[in-house]
Amino acid sequence: MIGQLPYFIRRALRNMLHSPVLSAASIFTVGVALALLAFFAIAVLNVQRLTLSWAAELAIVAYLEQPPEGPVLNRWLAEIRAYPEVADVTYVSRQEAYQRFKVRLGSDADLLEGLGAEVLPASLEVRLKPERRQDMTAVAERLGRNKAFGELHYGREWLERFEAFLLLLRTAGVALGGFLVLAALVIVANTIKLTLYARQDELEAMTMVGATALFIKLPYLIEGALQGLCGGILALLVSFAAFRLLLRESLGSLLLLTGIDTIHFLPPVWQLLLVAGGALIGLLGSLLALRKFVRFCQD
Amino acid sequence: MIQLFNVTKAFQREQSALADITLRVAKGEFVYLTGPSGAGKSTLLKLVCCAERPTRGQILMDGRNITQLGMRHIPFLRRNLGIVFQDFKLLNRRTVFENVAFPLEVQGRRRIEIGKKVYQVLKQVGLEHRLSHHPPQLSGGEQQRVAVARALVVDPLVLLADEPTGNLDPDVTLDIMELFKSANARGTTIVMATHDRGLIRQFPRRVITLEAGRLTGDAQP
Repeated sequence: MIGQLPYFIRRALRNMLHSPVLSAASIFTVGVALALLAFFAIAVLNVQRLTLSWAAELAIVAYLEQPPEGPVLNRWLAEIRAYPEVADVTYVSRQEAYQRFKVRLGSDADLLEGLGAEVLPASLEVRLKPERRQDMTAVAERLGRNKAFGELHYGREWLERFEAFLLLLRTAGVALGGFLVLAALVIVANTIKLTLYARQDELEAMTMVGATALFIKLPYLIEGALQGLCGGILALLVSFAAFRLLLRESLGSLLLLTGIDTIHFLPPVWQLLLVAGGALIGLLGSLLALRKFVRFCQD
Repeated sequence: MIQLFNVTKAFQREQSALADITLRVAKGEFVYLTGPSGAGKSTLLKLVCCAERPTRGQILMDGRNITQLGMRHIPFLRRNLGIVFQDFKLLNRRTVFENVAFPLEVQGRRRIEIGKKVYQVLKQVGLEHRLSHHPPQLSGGEQQRVAVARALVVDPLVLLADEPTGNLDPDVTLDIMELFKSANARGTTIVMATHDRGLIRQFPRRVITLEAGRLTGDAQP
């Protein structure tokens, strides 16, 4: 049967050429469904990138009542570095904090005139590993047991809100995409079914000369997969064009406010998955159509 | 070659299309199945090629009980059969060559072999000059000759023909009968359903008569 693959592909291509309108409808439907899915994926990916970059900057800041002695500081640093959740810990002296604050004030730095570095407390900045971000409260509680640490600051709450938003975006994408993919699947199945009805005489003749069910099904399965593949490529082209013309500008201006400078298109693996997904939709659509039809012809 | 034992076929809510048929067709025989419309001729042919299953009884083909044959094995049984229909059942989108090559493609034969075999059979039926035409471009007689070529190209053990000359004029009917005769002379068993008494008189062979699904006659010429 594998040796006959070129024959099946030829027949599938010929079938598509004989029903150009039906084939175009299938390709278009798969293309639209996957392109919409790709738009969501682009948005989710870029927003996710934003949370990752924010999360990397996110730290627990432990303000110190008094600047510690050298050996004490070293002990603390070693202790905190040993926490499994911690990626890095840095000591920010009063002087350093003063300099940073001055830089942040920019043209208003003269406000600090007459004030010394002693007005600002020294601190420890504890950064967590990205995968252990959810342990922020636990780490903060552990740090809080050290009486030498005064106030503890960390921006977990807004990060959680942002992650909830990301989850919502992702869920909406999956739900809408799932719905569209399902619609594409049904349309491909119906297209193939219409083709099968149009070629009922051919199927009958095939069964009468001894064609096996697989022999009858294979060209239609290949046809479905080819249509899906074309739909996937179309989705890729449309989403890339939309990305260049619309998304990059609109999403860019939205995310620029938050510190992201460039908007990225889907990574190559995702692009491949999109095209392969199209082929899979087409294949499943044909399978759905053929399930009952060929059984009927064989009876 | 073909044996039927007490075969009955009943469709839902209808009286039996075939009732208690027992008959035997020997290897290399040429048999007419005759009787009025609705007598059960087509049903009997369908049972022999497993397009229908008998309600009761057993059918043996070349010693093998095909009544119990699983769905998966039916295609392989049909590869030993040639089937000719009254309405030809040709594929109009394919050329004459492709129509005849079709059963060999189904069997997965090599392209070179297919080419040679198809040309040879088309020559036999006198259509080698029409191989690139499509069926709608041919006359009724030519289309039936293509259908016969498609049936013969696999060198079938049995050729089943359901009213093959029903739509043809007398001259073309003679051509088709000559093709059947020569296939039979080469050893193919032929079972031909027809209600054309004139044809049976012209080419006398064994005649099995069916009436209202019952076997009412079995006469040698």
